[in-house]
Amino acid sequence: MPESLNRMNRRDFLKASGAIALAGTLPVSMVELAFADSSKNFTFAYISDAHIQHISGNSFVRNWDRGLIRAVAETNLLDPKPDFVMFGGDLAQLGSKAELDHGAEIMSKLNFKTRYVMGEHDYYLDLGEYWSELFGPQHYSFDHKGVHFVVLNSILTYDEWTFDRWPTAKQRMLEMAGLDNPNGSPFMVGEEQRKWLADDLAKVKKDTPVFVVSHSPIQKIYKGWNFWTEDAEQVQALLQPFDKATVLYGHVHQIQYNQIGNITFNSVMATAWPWPYPRSYAQAESHMPKLTVPMNRADPFFERDATGWQLIDVGTGRASLRYQLYNNTNRTVAFNTTTGQPEDSMYQAEDKRVPPQNQY
Amino acid sequence: MRTCIFTGILFLGLLLGSSFLTGAMAQDPVPPLGLPPVPIPPDNLQTPEKIALGDKLFHDTRFSTTGEVSCATCHVREKGFTDSPLKVSEGINKLTGTRNAPTVLNSVYMTSMFWDGRSPDLEDQSLQPFVNPVEMGLKDHEPILAVVRSDPDYTKAFDAVFGKSGDAVTMKEVTQAIASFERDQVFGDTPFDRWYFEGDETALTDAQKRGFDVFINQGRCVSCHRVEQTQAIFTDNRFHNIGVGINNIQGDIPNLVPKFVKADYTRTEVDVAVLTNPSTSELGRFVVTSTFNDLGSFKTPTLRNISLTAPYMHDGSQATLRDVVVHYNNGGVTVAGDPVNDFLSGGIRPLELDDAQIDDLVAFMESLTSPEVAQMAAATGEE
Amino acid sequence: MWKRASGICAVILILAAGILPSGVGADEFTEADLERWEGEFMSVVEYGRELWVSAELGTNGVACAQCHPNAANTHPETYPKFQQQLGRVVALRDMFNWCLLNPLEGAELELDSREMVALEAYAYYERRGVELAPGKH
Repeated sequence: MPESLNRMNRRDFLKASGAIALAGTLPVSMVELAFADSSKNFTFAYISDAHIQHISGNSFVRNWDRGLIRAVAETNLLDPKPDFVMFGGDLAQLGSKAELDHGAEIMSKLNFKTRYVMGEHDYYLDLGEYWSELFGPQHYSFDHKGVHFVVLNSILTYDEWTFDRWPTAKQRMLEMAGLDNPNGSPFMVGEEQRKWLADDLAKVKKDTPVFVVSHSPIQKIYKGWNFWTEDAEQVQALLQPFDKATVLYGHVHQIQYNQIGNITFNSVMATAWPWPYPRSYAQAESHMPKLTVPMNRADPFFERDATGWQLIDVGTGRASLRYQLYNNTNRTVAFNTTTGQPEDSMYQAEDKRVPPQNQY
Repeated sequence: MRTCIFTGILFLGLLLGSSFLTGAMAQDPVPPLGLPPVPIPPDNLQTPEKIALGDKLFHDTRFSTTGEVSCATCHVREKGFTDSPLKVSEGINKLTGTRNAPTVLNSVYMTSMFWDGRSPDLEDQSLQPFVNPVEMGLKDHEPILAVVRSDPDYTKAFDAVFGKSGDAVTMKEVTQAIASFERDQVFGDTPFDRWYFEGDETALTDAQKRGFDVFINQGRCVSCHRVEQTQAIFTDNRFHNIGVGINNIQGDIPNLVPKFVKADYTRTEVDVAVLTNPSTSELGRFVVTSTFNDLGSFKTPTLRNISLTAPYMHDGSQATLRDVVVHYNNGGVTVAGDPVNDFLSGGIRPLELDDAQIDDLVAFMESLTSPEVAQMAAATGEE
Repeated sequence: MWKRASGICAVILILAAGILPSGVGADEFTEADLERWEGEFMSVVEYGRELWVSAELGTNGVACAQCHPNAANTHPETYPKFQQQLGRVVALRDMFNWCLLNPLEGAELELDSREMVALEAYAYYERRGVELAPGKH
């Protein structure tokens, strides 16, 4: 037995020794995409929620810096290379120029074209003015290998709160920065942007896969922490006509996924820090998608635990998210064409769960 | 009255007798002070004869191409089962590898072997050095089998221990005996153990007690070098990138990583590559798992008996315990101010310890030597 | 003679009635007392909340609420428990001190300080109603 072990190549050895169970958790560079029509398949990297936080002068919170640096370094090592990189919002913590600059500097080490999504922590200091100087329009669309991508600014809120409520911009930013702040205000896409979206989608054939890239969830999960989009139903209505629609969202700093009608929802991880699942707040009700198998409970003693980034494979218009978790076994959530919903490749069945997913 | 005493003695005799019986068949149920129960695999139970056979195999230099190298060449009993002060070990013809010899002491508590954990247990680990070109240099294990199947002392021993002879004696039995010997090297009862688990306030000096406070609090060493409520093995059996070695190849990583993955080595090839190619060696556990998590990661060694096993780290690059602490204090770089590598473990950051605290921490680590091990080391002087 | 004694007694009784709160016995408390005492408690909970969202607890501007909104995921009902990375069984406030030292890069609070009590009061308050489970990992 020991001798034959030595003659195996590493791929087989890893399988034999139980180090990896399924294709979904193979090391990044060893995955073989098993989709039909491979000419339309592509992969892109998704880094999100870096929350670069300025302390003073030239010093920033080291913990969040390291998370983003690592994501950038690992993305650069990918082989085969991803087509492009998406940054999912909240590059800065309090929207300051120093933070956006420092974050942009770390991101500039990426060897790929990068597109950015607006997050509330980027927006509420100057309403995205400096962000736009660095990264371009706050909402836009583009096509890639037969998929229509729409990037929304989904963290807007009521005009009164944005323009009239607060005496200073700094105050406004601080109020929105507190996740559990009762003075906050729910996120939305807003009427103007919804009109733009409707027009944009009108030009897209119904059998073209549509990917909506957003910071807020385009669902109503838990209002107390703004895991919420006020006009979620209206945005969803615009996506329902499409055969294959996927929403990718950040903001929640945890693994979530859902299927509503023909729309698949997938959250992405943060590089900075994890957030608790809403059900861990005993005083309020929340509506977590039942489908979601939670990520392993975060262990605060490991700084990078429950943080990471993701590699998204798109095949036949569906997404497969390979979560690169720095301190944990990687997870894969992929659309299952048989059941018509996203599923975790290892832990979806109840009897496959492990203690770190139950012991919350 | 007399019958009472008689029954009493009989009862006592039975009691002692039965415990004696179970003692011979099972393992010693009481581990040394400060250690958890010794994990023995059910298919390789300990017996004194098996341990003695393993000892003999461990020290046998015939299992090398030059007839000069045995396990004990790099794992010297009197040096805490290492080859201190060598940075990296020397095999046949003084050929050097890339790694510092880890101790065998208390290795039974490890859940994987080698600095990168590429071997799942002690039995499997012992197979590898025999066929590594810079260790024993054999082409395969046949020469070993030839010896153990013909040497009269070995044939008698293998028959007694395993009930096997001739071709039935395979590397399975050989490695089981070696592992059995290694599992017997369990030592606790250090001054630290007597202070922490038995409350003997005289066991440690004040400096050592202050050092323990640094170990648990500001130094956070306990995060990976585990100490628990009733025992302490000083390792978490996990792999961490603490910025040793990998800092030397930071610029090369974008080339090394894809090259290594494309090469798709067999396991033996990995074993060879790791010891013969310094750059590959620095990739750490990545060569075993090919996951980014493990870039530059190495296994947390135990700190027990650490005073005897200088120099330190997987490449022997830290000469003294003080150097080690300074490396951690700098936040994962040997020279303060050097850039840290991108894949540094999340727990590593500047500690802001002052000189006194560093000295105390080193003093504390010196309290982790078991008395029997200290005696073994002292014994080399009395030849 | 007894008239003066009863007079003095009467004075003492009247004085006593003034000093003693509402009822005469130490074991009596009223709805008003309960309300007032709850208010006293909530004032400390509010102070705890102030500290929880404050950027000044550590040295790097990070607040407890950033990772623990509404004190979620602190699991106060499981303490004291064996905390792997502290190597021993600890109380909730020991864990608070660990957070102050590490993610917040600050200094520990005294275990019996006003601030420590307030932080605990807030964390427990946000977790009210959850069954005790001391020692649970």
